[in-house]
Amino acid sequence: MFEILKSATADVGAARLGRLALGNHRVMETPNYLAVASRGVIPHLTPENMERYTAFDAAYMAIEDFLDKNPPPIMKMSKDTPRNLHSFTSFPTERAIVLGPRRFPAVTTPVGNGVKHLSIFTSTGFRNLTIAEFTKVIETTQPQIAIPPADLFHTSTTPPAKRQVRMVDRTEEWVDEFFHLADPQGRLKELGVSVFAPVLPVEYPLQWDYLRHLSEDVRESLSGLAIYDVNLLPELVNYPPLLSLPRLAFGPSKSPQDLLRQIALGVDVCTVPFVNVMSDAGVGLDFTFPPPETQEIHPLGIDMWTPDHATSLLPISEGCKCYTCTNHHRAFIQHLLNAKEMLGWNLLQIHNHWLLSEFFAGVRKVLSEGSARFEECSRNFSAVYESELPLGTGERPRARGYHFKSIAGQTRINEPSWQAYEGDSKPTSGSDTAAEPPVAPSA
Amino acid sequence: MASSSNIYSAPALTFELVARCSTTRARASILTLPHGPVQLPMFMPVATQASLKGLTPEQLEETGCRLCLNNTYHLGLKPGQEVLDAIGGAHKLQGWKHNILTDSGGFQMVSLLKLATITEKGVEFLSPHDGSPMLLTPEHSMSLQNSIGSDIMMQLDDVLVTTSPDKARMREAMERSVRWLDRCIVAHKNPDRQNLFCIIQGGLDLEMRRECCREMLARDTPGIAIGGLSGGEAKMDYCRVVEACTALLPDLKPRYVMGIGYPEDLVVSVALGADMFDCVWPTRTARFGNAVTKHGVLNMRNKKFANDFGPIEDGCGCMCCRSKLDGGMGISRAFVHHNASKETVAAHLLTIHNVFYQLNLMRGVRQSIIEDRFPPFVREFFAGLYSEKTEYPEWAVGALKGVGIDLTSE
Repeated sequence: MFEILKSATADVGAARLGRLALGNHRVMETPNYLAVASRGVIPHLTPENMERYTAFDAAYMAIEDFLDKNPPPIMKMSKDTPRNLHSFTSFPTERAIVLGPRRFPAVTTPVGNGVKHLSIFTSTGFRNLTIAEFTKVIETTQPQIAIPPADLFHTSTTPPAKRQVRMVDRTEEWVDEFFHLADPQGRLKELGVSVFAPVLPVEYPLQWDYLRHLSEDVRESLSGLAIYDVNLLPELVNYPPLLSLPRLAFGPSKSPQDLLRQIALGVDVCTVPFVNVMSDAGVGLDFTFPPPETQEIHPLGIDMWTPDHATSLLPISEGCKCYTCTNHHRAFIQHLLNAKEMLGWNLLQIHNHWLLSEFFAGVRKVLSEGSARFEECSRNFSAVYESELPLGTGERPRARGYHFKSIAGQTRINEPSWQAYEGDSKPTSGSDTAAEPPVAPSA
Repeated sequence: MASSSNIYSAPALTFELVARCSTTRARASILTLPHGPVQLPMFMPVATQASLKGLTPEQLEETGCRLCLNNTYHLGLKPGQEVLDAIGGAHKLQGWKHNILTDSGGFQMVSLLKLATITEKGVEFLSPHDGSPMLLTPEHSMSLQNSIGSDIMMQLDDVLVTTSPDKARMREAMERSVRWLDRCIVAHKNPDRQNLFCIIQGGLDLEMRRECCREMLARDTPGIAIGGLSGGEAKMDYCRVVEACTALLPDLKPRYVMGIGYPEDLVVSVALGADMFDCVWPTRTARFGNAVTKHGVLNMRNKKFANDFGPIEDGCGCMCCRSKLDGGMGISRAFVHHNASKETVAAHLLTIHNVFYQLNLMRGVRQSIIEDRFPPFVREFFAGLYSEKTEYPEWAVGALKGVGIDLTSE
């Protein structure tokens, strides 16, 4: 399923080129990235626009996005039809879905995980997810890749060692229970579901035995590793059987520099939520790998809200081949954001995902020229570009309950757009910008 | 082949009457505008601020749309006339290769701005930017629409709710609209590439409407709109006004009834002799989670759709409802329910479906007129919406009877 094409030195702590077969004849060239979906869609993109105008091979979805009803509709789909999650979300069949228990990044739940369950957040509130239920969802939805639950940090990212030990113990138990129930080499294999085991963000001395367990006891059931702290990667050298597995990283990834660091440590697939965040912020990403040769410092993105784009017929990025840059111009995007028309965010999302695909293509090309060249280009990248993504100045699209946990007395993140001049005038028909339906309050 | 007796040519449009219903006043025609031909009767979706609510121009094109609306008032505020001039008009701004129709901006003054006052000079209102007093005159409206570059421009008219009891004010509004048309014609800079349509006013008073028709027709605009309707008047009154106006209008000019969009209203208005319609309802209701279907409006947020894995509408040919095998997206009701008012994608999907429904309804209407089976089409349409004939709306039964279709028979 995973083939390493090129790797420097001892294979750990070094960037590598590979090919990850995703089923349906689609092969992901690595290093590459996973787009992050919300409730089964890449925010702002209808399935057809995603299929036509984006190039990523796979998306990350969260089970908690599908469990707001009881019983959940996806569980009503027939177990005998293949790839139910693809059908339910109208996701293009030739692209892969990676399914994990929680959104990335996930909202902190009020109470942490229990001995036998994970605490999750759905659009209707918090609830528990047992390993048995998780297994059933995987068997019914049949994603290409499943990530079993891990007992991750709750409120603190530096909990006491005792707590860390418990995280490791629970995760091992949960992974074992999942393997016991789902039979990765039998039933799951028939369904075309591969399993990527979680590697915890705890210190190596506390989880060496769990890694040994993965490496020696259940290696045959694993198709990859889901790594929640890339700093642990160098330690994998102690487990040769795990080295040939593809590595999927969950952060930290706040900037392309973070992604380059992950790649340098030997990550094959990065999960990248910042693309969606930048689109919502009205920022068009603007960076390339290898970076341009210049003495100036470049920003990593362009704030499309600013009035200086008002009459600009330029694309977001010069030379970009994406739908947005070849069919539209900055003036239109600036107008759409300014008028709060939804298409503005759609166009940015198309561009930003395209640009990131191109970034990874550039990384692979440079890697094929040797790791020294990759290191040189990475250094240049850090020198040429600002270290952080721009924040964006305008209003965001409306945020939904499952995007954040509301606090008592919280102010609205955006002001209402149309208001009466004086008192009580009611909107009447005739304009398509009048009253919107109320948004369901957050749980 | 078309003979010259069924073709009308103006500097910026050609109107060809293709067929007439042998029973009703319904007509099928081809209207050729500067950005290509459109098939009438037709529904025009409203892309208020130069974008149809989250759809790309290509997605709008795929619904079959070749003529959509932009609102002059909104584009005048954002991005503003200077920007439109610098960019080279609204087509270039939004990447839309086909036709655009713009209203005059007058209706929004009245509907959105409570403090608008209308004088002979124009519409006075307070700027939503800074609250400073502004004046929209017929000349300014033309100038804005010239900057937008719309294929069809509407005159500035004095709009009054049709239900207003003030007859004197209604007459003043009607007569002023005629005077403002004259000012619009003088101010219009591009008659060779932009069409200016007049708007017939006169409230629910049929005599006043007829008088207005005569005055407006004397100005010989390339197309004619019937305005001031869909403002809360009784449907029967609405039908009487449309019927009275179409009786006086020339055969060889397009007739546009402004602000109409419910499927039943469209079908009945076509029977009464109207050709073009626009309304924000199908796209707005999509954002409220509603799907327009041949069996009525379905609210996808209703929990009964949570486990419904069928298409939004069986047999619908839109990108959402067509299966993946058929080149569509294969969207299910359950998926729309899952994301309605949660992810904007659900609104985009319903917008695609609803716009397609409206355009496809009109394509069906048109084909039936060409094949001279419009009356059975109308019967089938109402039978799809209601399970019993007794549920048919009285106004529709009455209006259709007046043009020779008896829905209660058979």
